[in-house]
Amino acid sequence: MFLKLVSRGLAALALIVCWVSGANAKDITLLNVSYDPTREFYQDFNVAFAKYWKEKSGDSLTIKQSHGGSGKQARSVLEGLEADVVTLALAYDIDALAEKGKLLPKDWQTRLPNNSSPYTSTIVFLVRKGNPKGIHDWPDLIKTGVTVITPNPKTSGGARWNYLAAYGYALRQPGGDDTKAREFIKSLFKNVPILDTGARGATTTFVQRGIGDVLIAWENEAILALKEIGKGEFEIVTPSLTILAEPPVAVVDKVVKRRGTEAVAKAYVEYLYTEAGQEIAAKHYYRPRLESVAQRYTAQFPVTKLITIDEAFGGWQKVHATHFAEGGLFDQLYQPSR
Amino acid sequence: MNIRRWVAYALITSATATAFPAQTEDSLPAIQALQRQIEELDQKVKILERKRELDQDATTEKAKSAVTVSAGTSGFSINSADTNFVLKIRGYVQADARFYLNTSPGITSHDTFLLRRVRPILEGTVFEKYDYRLMLDFGSGITSTTADNGFVQDAYVNARLWPQFQIQAGKFKAPVGLERLKPDGTLLFVERSYPTQLAPNRDVGIQVQGDVFDRRLSYAAGVFNGVADGGSGDFETADDEKDFAGRLFTHPFKNSSIAAIKGFGVGVAGTVGNQEGALRTFVSPGQQRFFAYRTGVGTNATTANIVADGEHWRFSPQGYYYWGPFGLFGEYVISSQQLSRSAGGDPTLATIRNKAWQVSASYVLTGEENSFKAIVPKKPFSLSSGGWGAWELTARVGQLKVDDNAFPLYANSTTSAREATSWGVGLNWHLNRNVKLNLNYEQTDFAGDEANPFTAKGEKAILTRIQFGF
Repeated sequence: MFLKLVSRGLAALALIVCWVSGANAKDITLLNVSYDPTREFYQDFNVAFAKYWKEKSGDSLTIKQSHGGSGKQARSVLEGLEADVVTLALAYDIDALAEKGKLLPKDWQTRLPNNSSPYTSTIVFLVRKGNPKGIHDWPDLIKTGVTVITPNPKTSGGARWNYLAAYGYALRQPGGDDTKAREFIKSLFKNVPILDTGARGATTTFVQRGIGDVLIAWENEAILALKEIGKGEFEIVTPSLTILAEPPVAVVDKVVKRRGTEAVAKAYVEYLYTEAGQEIAAKHYYRPRLESVAQRYTAQFPVTKLITIDEAFGGWQKVHATHFAEGGLFDQLYQPSR
Repeated sequence: MNIRRWVAYALITSATATAFPAQTEDSLPAIQALQRQIEELDQKVKILERKRELDQDATTEKAKSAVTVSAGTSGFSINSADTNFVLKIRGYVQADARFYLNTSPGITSHDTFLLRRVRPILEGTVFEKYDYRLMLDFGSGITSTTADNGFVQDAYVNARLWPQFQIQAGKFKAPVGLERLKPDGTLLFVERSYPTQLAPNRDVGIQVQGDVFDRRLSYAAGVFNGVADGGSGDFETADDEKDFAGRLFTHPFKNSSIAAIKGFGVGVAGTVGNQEGALRTFVSPGQQRFFAYRTGVGTNATTANIVADGEHWRFSPQGYYYWGPFGLFGEYVISSQQLSRSAGGDPTLATIRNKAWQVSASYVLTGEENSFKAIVPKKPFSLSSGGWGAWELTARVGQLKVDDNAFPLYANSTTSAREATSWGVGLNWHLNRNVKLNLNYEQTDFAGDEANPFTAKGEKAILTRIQFGF
């Protein structure tokens, strides 16, 4: 009886305090923790979504962004960075949030269409103007004298896509098998003098610091470099086979429930699938899922042979255990240059 | 960049001078070879520079996540990089001296040095929003009883969910007495005044609290075990009842542009509940007991044992005003408690209402800003640099009036005074943020029966303190 009385009293008081102190105020803050090359895309997207949300709900929305290597970003969220939404490079990184941090359910990927990947990209080569080293396909990257720039697969989601695209190419060659693919990866990384922690860092190394002959990059990042960072200084080479990169998005349930941002966070990720969201993604060189938008950008995205993680490698969990876990294939094959 | 330029220059000039002095056709392949060498060297230098850049980035990033350890006037602290986890090691010691200028037959206190408070403090934050505090006390005369572990002063956690709504649980000061809520290290006088003896001290419970309306209104409301007037407790030994305590305090002009009214604060506080068990005595500013309820074996009226036994409520209007170096502080407390007698016939129950008030004023001679919190000297005392710290003059007057109904059945008028009225003046020297000296003169007049030793001579006392805190 006594406890009931006290709890009711406290609840009533909390309601009164929330009311008088303006806890129902319409200023909302959202944090999107994302991977490295999405800065520009989400800057534009956030403006559009905040406007949409204002019209829909009347709430004023401030969306903060955090960017870095996808694996590093996931670790930050696990360690307490209060992300309402994560938009990372790999499903594996969000799986880690679900499994290790219990921050969202394990079936998070089923909550949104297309395995929670509202846009896709692929992996291409960015070479210097005139392609002086004659780089046209993956075998050209392991030639003596070719310097390759790619970030560290231990910290960068983009780097994992790069690695897996190369590995997948080697597997799919006539007579290709795991042994040959490992040899190929070993030779490739012999030509990599520096491992940046994220994709944007690798772009900086190649584009602004002038290091290397070829950058293995997200398609969107390569187009961005081509059109906006170093106009006329680079060329894009699309290899004969590459990988379909599906960067996923998710609402971080535990955070949004505690912060009371569940509805707006859900609307945020859903807005990525709308015509407006897809248009912004395409303008930032991500391949849109929505056919009506994709039709308008066919010239921007060349058709090439694409493998997927699931069909070529059996899914991210298997990929991680085999290739990127501590002591995995990458650790065995990569010898840092001296 | 310089390195690259020099390498290129050296290679070109040396190569030109030695390899192809005059001929140009024959030397073309050699020049091309040199160009390639230069490009390779250029790449190597760029790679080295970039590696160094990345190393520096990594070092910076690592520093951002590094734990910091600091020491300063606010104690020692260990902080996580994001400051979401903090441990502060603090503490203070108050070494007092009491001198009584007159003695009365009923007074047993002696001139003495004592350690009034010896309090180590561990406090901090976990997971950004959860503050904790553990404060122990090893001062002179601290004891531990079944109902109260006197060595544990504070032990609580405060969940700062929002500034407007926080939940605090554990043992801490109940939200009632204004002077009681003022931290010990910032007291104007060596000893607190009379209203504090009617307000609860530390109690165990849970309270919600917060600041609303742009921090102009503070509120606190909680449920506690309940303690006798002026007392602390951490274990309920006499009954199942609980006390409800609450306080509203406002700074209505906090955000005003007029400096003269910004420092005005006023509020009310109170408790209501049912208290059973032992009662406390009342003491003078010199800490001499001048009132006690009867205690005894309970065979007749004079040996009756008096205990709290029923409804207990308190009400306290309170306020302060600070403007520049000037400060004014006042509070009033009325405490109503039902008592019972163990012997001596009817009536066995009575409701006693004791009242107390105080008004104190202070002025910082050296011009520092006066406030409810600590005074921070503009120039700490230093023989070498000529700073004199902060000097503060203080004065106060206060009174505690025991309910007339307490006499003679519940208190002995020959050993207890009915009323104590005190005035005092003081000089505080804040040498720096960590060291403070107090010098007080306190004079008290007691009202009561002629046979009472207090009524004749009163109390004149000099109280001093050296306080060291970090």
